[in-house]
Amino acid sequence: MSAKFGTLLGTSVVKKQIVALTGLIGVGFIIGHVAGNSLILFGPEAINGYSDMLHAVPELLWIARLILVASLVLHVYFTILVTLENRAARVDRYALQANHGETNWAKKTMIYTGLLVFFFILFHLTDFTFPDKTGPDTVLTGSEGEASYGLYGLVWNSFLSVPRSLFYILAVCCVGLHLSHGIQSLFQTIGFFHDRYTEKIRLASNVLGALVALGFSLVPIFVILRHYTFGPDV
Amino acid sequence: MSTKINLTLKVWRQKNAQTPGHFETYQARDIDTDASFLEMLDVVNASLEREGKEPIAFDHDCREGICGSCGAVVNGQAHGPERETTLCQLHMRKFRNGDTVTIEPWRAKGFPLIKDLVVDRSAFDRIIAAGGFITVRTGQAPEAHATPVPKDKADWAMDAAQCIGCGACVAACPNASAMLFVSAKVTHLNVLPQGQPEKTRRVLNMVAQMDKEGFGNCSNHYECEAACPKGISVKNIAKMNRDHLVASIAG
Repeated sequence: MSAKFGTLLGTSVVKKQIVALTGLIGVGFIIGHVAGNSLILFGPEAINGYSDMLHAVPELLWIARLILVASLVLHVYFTILVTLENRAARVDRYALQANHGETNWAKKTMIYTGLLVFFFILFHLTDFTFPDKTGPDTVLTGSEGEASYGLYGLVWNSFLSVPRSLFYILAVCCVGLHLSHGIQSLFQTIGFFHDRYTEKIRLASNVLGALVALGFSLVPIFVILRHYTFGPDV
Repeated sequence: MSTKINLTLKVWRQKNAQTPGHFETYQARDIDTDASFLEMLDVVNASLEREGKEPIAFDHDCREGICGSCGAVVNGQAHGPERETTLCQLHMRKFRNGDTVTIEPWRAKGFPLIKDLVVDRSAFDRIIAAGGFITVRTGQAPEAHATPVPKDKADWAMDAAQCIGCGACVAACPNASAMLFVSAKVTHLNVLPQGQPEKTRRVLNMVAQMDKEGFGNCSNHYECEAACPKGISVKNIAKMNRDHLVASIAG
């Protein structure tokens, strides 16, 4: 096994299976993230309590973070590599190319939605993960005695900016598009095909992609609607 | 009832791999709608020869859709607009009088161009040589009932074995990937009891050879399945991926 590990890593199937498995880890994280995010709709105690729970055992948190970062790096590295190889495999382009298979917009833009999501993640970490959760950015307008609202306050204040919220919505729509092809694709790549279930997986993949985009978008939409209809945030 | 139609052809002409190619426009006149696409090209070639011009080079052999020799991208589709039909079995009644028809060769790094519409598909032969065989004892044919084959496996193997190796999957793939061809050849032996002894080596070696030939990677657009004149299913690709995964870990 070890002797040919390097050779295996060079084959198209293994490269794609690494992309599929790291993608699966990403899908698991994203579903958990959407579910966790929805707690914002239930007020500061719910989301801050959830955040505290995740931070309760720092060792576990760092193990999870390490796995996620490693998955992301491998996923991005191998998808770029595979895409470059795919471009090189057809040097002369067709004058006419009519698609009659299952090519669609989501499939064709995987590398672009993927790269956009990658840079969005970097921005998103500096926006919500790295900042101090007790600083002035966590104080809501109208809160008594400049009280901090923790992560809830940070997220709330960030989404009060309409352009930023729109950017977030655009980014999470890319996440949704990426998943709509990614989930069904990963089943095929790791070798799961079933005469009945594969159709259902393809449907579930599209539905899940749409739900993830919608679920993530709810937070900025909720913040903006509430702020601009009811006024004070507390 | 057969009628005659006139077409404008835009054909890819290229002297050899070293010379850059270009499109040449020809008029195909009085084409019988009962003629096949290749017979239409024969008519055009006959008139080109009468004019003292170089005829259009294209591959063909059986002209009955079973040998896998013919093939060109017609109006952006491998083997033309008819589903599950090779170019030789495509009839001119599928076209209308006055149509413009664009004809291009398979375009892939793994299929270097030889001349006009003819490409070198010997990469497929090398992939077959890497593992598309089984070990049999010489001598008398074994008794047919000695090796039971489940009906579903026999059907699957027969469906996969329908692949004629024409290369339309590579031509239609956005990445010029040969995964449908290779998976059909791996699967039709790997699902049968007779193919078990070499199962692991077969999938590893054939995929490795495929990569060496410069084909792209599968991105699950399934253009190959839509273009395949024999209706080979992409479930063979999933099966090959599974066999490769098992072979990489346990092999």
